[in-house]
Amino acid sequence: MSPRVSNTFDMAIGVIPIALLIALWQGIAMSGAAPPSLLPPPGVVFGRFLQQIVSPAYLEHAYVTLYRLFVGFGIAVLAGVTFGILMTGSKAVASIVRPIVRVLAPVPKIALYPAFTLTLGYDDASKIALVIADAMFPILLATYQGALAVEPKLAWSARAAGVSPLKTLFTVILPAAMPSVLTGCRIGLIISCIVVFLAEMITSTDGLGHLLVRAARNFQTVDMFVPLITISILGLLLNAAFNALRRYLLRGFPEEK
Amino acid sequence: MISIDRVSKQFETSRARRHLALSDISLSVARGEFVSILGPSGCGKSTLLYIVGGFVEQSSGAVIVDDNPVTGPGPDRGPVFQEFALFPWKTVLGNVMYGLDQRGMPKDEALARSRELLTMVKLSGYENFYPKELSGGMKQRVAIARTLAYRPNILLMDEPFGALDAHTRTKLQNDLLGIWEKDRKTVLFVTHSVEEAVFLSDRVVMMTSSPGRIKDIIKINLPRPRERAALLLNRRYQDYVVEIEKMMDEQPETRVS
Repeated sequence: MSPRVSNTFDMAIGVIPIALLIALWQGIAMSGAAPPSLLPPPGVVFGRFLQQIVSPAYLEHAYVTLYRLFVGFGIAVLAGVTFGILMTGSKAVASIVRPIVRVLAPVPKIALYPAFTLTLGYDDASKIALVIADAMFPILLATYQGALAVEPKLAWSARAAGVSPLKTLFTVILPAAMPSVLTGCRIGLIISCIVVFLAEMITSTDGLGHLLVRAARNFQTVDMFVPLITISILGLLLNAAFNALRRYLLRGFPEEK
Repeated sequence: MISIDRVSKQFETSRARRHLALSDISLSVARGEFVSILGPSGCGKSTLLYIVGGFVEQSSGAVIVDDNPVTGPGPDRGPVFQEFALFPWKTVLGNVMYGLDQRGMPKDEALARSRELLTMVKLSGYENFYPKELSGGMKQRVAIARTLAYRPNILLMDEPFGALDAHTRTKLQNDLLGIWEKDRKTVLFVTHSVEEAVFLSDRVVMMTSSPGRIKDIIKINLPRPRERAALLLNRRYQDYVVEIEKMMDEQPETRVS
């Protein structure tokens, strides 16, 4: 099978479990085990979703969530990759950053969120800070591990050509570690999706997470499920975009199996 | 000119024992001379080459290249590795241009120089291929072009044809001699093949292992330019090969560390 045909095939296969899940949902709703006011049938929810997805007010909330997600994730990538690479290049940087990472990485970042809201306010800044705090460590660690594993002869080839150690770090070590860096970024992206939603659920006046909590508190169960579907579809789209970017960036690397 | 003066190298092994890889190596290589270092695997011949390249630091002794002690890599000494060490994220042309680009050569000049080198190694037409799309022999041609691009006076070749099949190997040996005849760079060539060493070199340095020492240096008095077919029938060539092989057999086999 050609890759394209097998991709379409895989996607078709992938739809089946999702369809089964929705069928199960429909089955439970129809069985009367849960009253429709608490568990609305999927048809009603998707109908509402289609209605909302074209409503400017709803899109405004989705946009706010996406904005926090991208800014937070972007800064996490920048900081994680930079520190991860610099740790590889300099023993001094490594000896400063490593203990900090060791202490902070296992801390449940969500516990920092009250502190963030108190210091940074209830707006974007506190949510972005939480996304950065949570997404940065897996990216940093993946970059550091990947960079350490780069074949030294690649760097030697650059150094022998007269390229400075710092330039070698960013023009050879970083691109050579790219497969590992991107694995870290994918984990960071998933974490970002979860965390931005969570932060909005805890304290927010806007965003998809806030819509969900507000609907739940008012027993608007249909409206409660709509943000959930929105964020999972956003996750799917982001993942697809990320994979396309990954394929492009790794086009020269041997195929992974 | 390369002057290796009483160089030793100790490695700390995993069991906290010291392994003496090189012991008291002294060797002078004249400008324009082609010298092979021949020895069993594990005799430290590659380590010696890396020390001359400035990639690995010696434990004692000194390496002087054109009156300057070696303290690190530099564009006067161009390495070629058995593993090719090409940048997988760059095209063939990108690999060859990398060093020139980084050192600030104008784009069009770097492009012209790189194309000229790719023609020299018989790879014009492959500029936009990625290394993974090439055979082993072609990859090594790219690596040689990448190193020649920044015009090193000295080539440090670390079993460059060791990973290639016999046919490709002899072809690249011929081509290397052809390129070398044009400007007679100083070459330090590590190999474990007796025929290869005799065919290419002005002198063959034989090493023993554990610890790596120079056992003997044999001057190869064969006319240049050398042609493989003629040389294979040459009595003197045959004698060199037989004599050196006999000397190699005299040393006990050592475990590979």
